[in-house]
Order: sequence, then C-alpha cells, then structure tokens
Amino acid sequence: MRSLLIRCYPARWRARYADEFEAILEERPLGPFDVADILLGALDARLRFRGHGVATQDPRRFTMSLRIGGIAAIVGASLLVIGLALIGGRARGTETASAIALLVAFVALLVALTGMSAFQARSNPWLVWTAFAVAAVGTVVTFIAGVSDLAGVGPTDWRDGPLALGVVAVGLGSAAFGIATYRGSVLSRKGALSLVIGPAIGFIGVFAVGQNLWELGMLLVLVGMVSFLAGWFTLGVAAIRLDRTPALKPA
Amino acid sequence: MEGKIPAFGRFAEPSLLILVSLSNGPKHGYAIMQDVEQGTGRPMGAGTLYAALTRLEEQGLIEPLQPVDRRRPYRLTALGASNLTEQLRGLSEFAQMGLRQLGGTSS
Repeated sequence: MRSLLIRCYPARWRARYADEFEAILEERPLGPFDVADILLGALDARLRFRGHGVATQDPRRFTMSLRIGGIAAIVGASLLVIGLALIGGRARGTETASAIALLVAFVALLVALTGMSAFQARSNPWLVWTAFAVAAVGTVVTFIAGVSDLAGVGPTDWRDGPLALGVVAVGLGSAAFGIATYRGSVLSRKGALSLVIGPAIGFIGVFAVGQNLWELGMLLVLVGMVSFLAGWFTLGVAAIRLDRTPALKPA
Repeated sequence: MEGKIPAFGRFAEPSLLILVSLSNGPKHGYAIMQDVEQGTGRPMGAGTLYAALTRLEEQGLIEPLQPVDRRRPYRLTALGASNLTEQLRGLSEFAQMGLRQLGGTSS
C-alpha cells in the first residue's frame, strides 16, 4: 500500500524524497485521511514537477505533452460542438454518432487540459487543479452514463441529466483553465479569454432560453459555442506551435 | 506579509506551522507532524507536509541535513528565521488589532 502510494508521485520527486517519505509512512498505520492527503500531495507534485521539466530534465516528454494536448484541444472542441449541434438538430439516425462524438470530445478535452497545463500549473496550481478536477468529474459521470446508454443498460436517456452535467463541468473546467492560462500569460491570451467568455455566454444563453427568450437565448448559446471552440482551437494551435520552437527542443 | 511567500498558496498555513516547529532546532518529518498536531490539535498529513516542505526548501527557507536511518532532518535557514519572525509579528499585530476592536465593541 505504502509503495503504491509513493509510486503516485512523479519520478523526479521520488528520487529526492521517496526514502524519507516512506520512513514517515512506516511510523503509523495509514487511515483514509492519510491516503486522501497523500493522493492530493501526489497530484500537487505532478502538477508542479511537470512545469519544472520544461527547461531542465525532460524536454522531449514535455514537447510531446504539449503536442498531444494541442491536437486533443482542437479535436475535442470540434467534436463537442458537432455533437451538440447534432443533438440540437434532432436529426433521425444521428443519435449514436452524436453520442460517440460527445464522449470522445469529453475525453479529448480532459487530455488537452492535462497536456497543456504545465506552465499554468507552475504559476496557478490551485486553478489548474480545480479545472482538472471539475472537468474530470463531469467527464467520468458523462462517460459512464453515455456508454451505459449506448450499450442499452442505462436506466434512462443519458441526455436527460448526465450530458448536461458533463457540458457544465467541462465548460466550468475550461473557463478555469482559461483564467489560469490568461493569468500566466502563456500559449495565447486571446484564446484563453475566448475560453473564459464562451462558457459564460453559453450559460447565460441557456438561462435565457429557460426564461422563454428563445431567440436571444439560442443566439447567445451559438456565440458561446463559437467562442468556446475558438478558444480551444487557438490554444491548441499555440501549443503545437510552441512545441516547434527551438528553445524547447531537446539538446 | 503574504507577499513574502507568494507561491505557497493553499500551503501557506502548513508552511508557517512547519517553520514554527523548526524554530527550536532541526527536526525530521515525523517529528514536525507530531509537533504540529500537539500545537494545533489537528493532524497534518504526510502529503501536505511534503508539499509544504518542497516549497519551503525551494524558497531557501529551510535546508535538509544528512539523513539518519532514512529520516532526514530539516533546519531553518537565516532567511527562513527572518521570514518567520516577520510573519509572526504580522499575525501578532493583527491579533492585537482584533482584540482592541473586540474590547471597543464590548465597552
């Protein structure tokens, strides 16, 4: 159990602290509080140490992480907008396609958020951690409900609740990630701003629709979706282009 | 006061508790945890302890000593001692202000 928990920490951290940390864990039996605290500590170390790898030990992995994150951002945001548009259009025969597009989109955006968060994690660890946690919870819930529904074992139509929860969670997570990116002045501040504004406008639009302001609401939802897509797209392109800069290439 | 250690974020309080614990001499991690629990009545988890220790070491406020049986003691640096003094002075002034205000309200 102890060695499993220590393995949750990044290799660079373990190289420096594993021995003394293990000695502490051996001092008393581990309770649920200790396990949760250690897992949070490991996540914190992973977020912090990824940023430190930029200019030091492992630039190859870092550039790969940026590249994967950038591609995942573009693919994920595009699929999310396509999936929501298909569901909104209510065209017959597109249910399975839209469900698959949305599920892949959620996972891709989580990958994007993780892959592109190294710089932000160094300057705004708490915001990046929140962005990841919120998006991860939404993705897991939606994914389980969506796959169950596709397999025909779900209790209800997943679009009635879990999908909305997933969209809200990914929207909030993306906005938090956008704030961290904007504050850290990394990748693209315009893209980050667009990522913050998009979900905000979209949620206002949904609220307006709920108040029977149908046309205004749908217009705001559309603007929000375009802004969200533009935000992820711009950050994705910036991450891929940053990946190609000579300063980040391995020597 | 907070501006002195801006990168600590949510680990500001555990960091302060560790600095206080080390103020009377070097200690290893488990001794710090016991010290903090005894002083505050609340346990400090190993994950929180090492997240804060890492930051304190990076900022040069503490330094590691040679390990003894895998237990590595840490000690306060001169910078750490001055930072701790400043933080405690700030907290003391804040506490006194609060007590004065309470006194003013009750009279």
